[in-house]
Amino acid sequence: MRANNTLRTTVLGWAVALLMFFPIGWMALTAFKTELQAVSTPPVLFFKPTLENFAAVFERGDYLKFTLNSVLVSFGSTFLALALAVPAAYRMVFHPTPRTGSTLLWMLSTKMMPPVGVLVPIYLLFRDAGLLDTVTGLVIVYALMNLPIVVWMLYTYFKDVPREILEAGRVDGASAWQEVQILLLPLAWPGIASTGLLNVILAWNEAFWSLNLTTSKAAPLTAFIAAFSSPEGLFWAKLSAASLLAIAPILVVGWFSQKQLVRGLTFGAVK
Amino acid sequence: MAEKLSLNQSRIRSAWLFITPMIVVMVLVAGWPLLRTLWFSFTDADLKELGAAKFVGFSNYVGEYGLLADPEWWNAVLNTIRFSVISVTLETVLGLIVALVLNAKFPGRALVRAAVLIPWAIPTIVSAKMWAWMMHDQFGVLNYVLMGLHIINQPLAWTADPALAMNAVIMVDVWKTTPFMALMILAALQMLPTDCYEAARVDGIHPVRVFFKVTLPLIRPALMVAVIFRALDALRVFDLIYVLTSNSKDTMSMSVYSRQQLVDFQQVGFGSAASTVLFLIVALCTAAYITIGRVKFDGDAR
Repeated sequence: MRANNTLRTTVLGWAVALLMFFPIGWMALTAFKTELQAVSTPPVLFFKPTLENFAAVFERGDYLKFTLNSVLVSFGSTFLALALAVPAAYRMVFHPTPRTGSTLLWMLSTKMMPPVGVLVPIYLLFRDAGLLDTVTGLVIVYALMNLPIVVWMLYTYFKDVPREILEAGRVDGASAWQEVQILLLPLAWPGIASTGLLNVILAWNEAFWSLNLTTSKAAPLTAFIAAFSSPEGLFWAKLSAASLLAIAPILVVGWFSQKQLVRGLTFGAVK
Repeated sequence: MAEKLSLNQSRIRSAWLFITPMIVVMVLVAGWPLLRTLWFSFTDADLKELGAAKFVGFSNYVGEYGLLADPEWWNAVLNTIRFSVISVTLETVLGLIVALVLNAKFPGRALVRAAVLIPWAIPTIVSAKMWAWMMHDQFGVLNYVLMGLHIINQPLAWTADPALAMNAVIMVDVWKTTPFMALMILAALQMLPTDCYEAARVDGIHPVRVFFKVTLPLIRPALMVAVIFRALDALRVFDLIYVLTSNSKDTMSMSVYSRQQLVDFQQVGFGSAASTVLFLIVALCTAAYITIGRVKFDGDAR
C-alpha cells in the first residue's frame, strides 16, 4: 500500500515535470539548430548541433554586461525590499495596532494600478532625480514593485513563529533589534529565504520597467532579449539561443534555491 | 517600575522606527505617481506636450468620447475578467496538487522540483515568444505533436483564431504561473507542524480527509495571500497577451487597452483615465474577494 503510493507520486511528479519542462527543452534544442532546421516540418529531433547561433548572439551585444546588470538589480532590489519589509512585518505581527490591517490593505493598493498607468509620472520623477538608465533606479522600482508581496508573505510566515519564544527573549532583556536578529530571523528563515527567492526571480523577469527606464548603461537581460528579438523576430534559432543565455543564470540560482527549500523542510521537521 | 516603563516606551519608539522607512518610501515613489496619474486623467494631456495639458473634468470618463462609452473598453474588461477567473482557478487547483506531490518523498524529487519551478523563472517576454513559436500554425511543434497523437485532425491557428486565442493565452499563463502557486503553497506546507499528521496517521484517518480537515485549514492564510497576489497580477495582465496576440481584439486586456491609448495613440489623459478605472475595478474585485473569503489581517497572531 505504501510502496504503491510512492510509485504513484513518483509517476505523477515526473509526468508534471516533463510537461512543464518540454517547452524549455524544445527551446534549448532549437538553440543548437540551424535556422533552416528550426522551421522544418516535421520538426527534426536528431541533427548535428551547431554553435553558430550563440556566436551570433555574442557578436550582437555585451552579454556579460547585461547579465551583471540583471544580477545587481535582482539581488539589490531583494536586499532593499527585505531590509524595509522585515522590520515592518515584525512590527505588524508582534506589535499590531488598529491601523495594521489598513496598512496591509494600502500596500496592496499599489499593486492595483497597471505599470503603464504610472509610466509617465515615474518617468518624470526619475528624470528629475537623475535615475534614468541607472542600476540604482531599477533597484528602487523593483523593490517597490515587490514590496507588497514581500511584506504580506513575511507577515504570514512571522505569524507562524511562536510568540512565546520572542516574549521569553523580551523578558531576558533583549531589545527589539536583538529580538529580530537573534530570534526571529533564524526561526523564520525558510519563509524569508523563499520570499527572497521569489523577489529575485520576479525582478529577474521584469521587462516593462527595464525597457522603459533604461537605454544602454543599466539595461538588464530582459532588455537584451527584447532588443534582440524585435528586428529578428523570425530567426527562431538565434532567438532561442539568446533566450537560453538569458535564463541560464536563473536556472543555476533556481537549482541552489531548490536545495534551500529542502533545508527548510528539515527545519520544519526539527520544529 | 520606572525603569520598566521607560523600557516599554523605548520599545514603542523602536517599533515605530521599524515601519516608518517602508511607509516613507512607499508614499514617495508609489503614492505620488499614483496621484499624478489621477490628475492626468482629468486633463487632455498629450505625450508630446505634457506641459500644455488643460483640465477637462470628467470628459475622459463619461460623455460621447469618454471611456465608458467605448465598447472596446468594455470588451477589454470582459476579456480580462474571463482570463483572470479561469486562469487563477486553474492555477490554484493545479498548484495545490503540484505542491502536495513535491512535498512527498519520491526518487528524483530534487530534480523534479527544479524542473517544475523553471517555467515561472523564465521572463514572460521569453516564454511568450517561445510559445508563440511553438503554437505557430505552420512550423509549430504543438500542432505536430497533437496531430501525431490524433487529438486534432488539422493544424490550428492557436493565436490567430478568435475562438482559440483566449484559450491559448490562458494555457500559457497556467503553464507559466502554476509553479508560482506551487512554490507559495509548498513553503506553507513545509512550515506545518508534523505532529498532527502523526496523530492522524496513527488514528488511521484517510489521507484525503486529512487534507481537507488538517492541511487545507492550516495553509489557508498562505493560500489566500497567494491567490490575492496572483489575481492582482492576472487582472493587470499585459506582456503575455501583448507578445502572444499583440493588439488583437479577442484577447485585449484592460492593460493592453491602456497601453494602446497611452503609448500608441499618445493620449496620456485618456490612457490615465483607463488606468484609473482599471485600478478601481481591481480594487473592487479585491474588496469582494477579501469580504467573501473572510481574509483576516487584524494583527492577531492566530
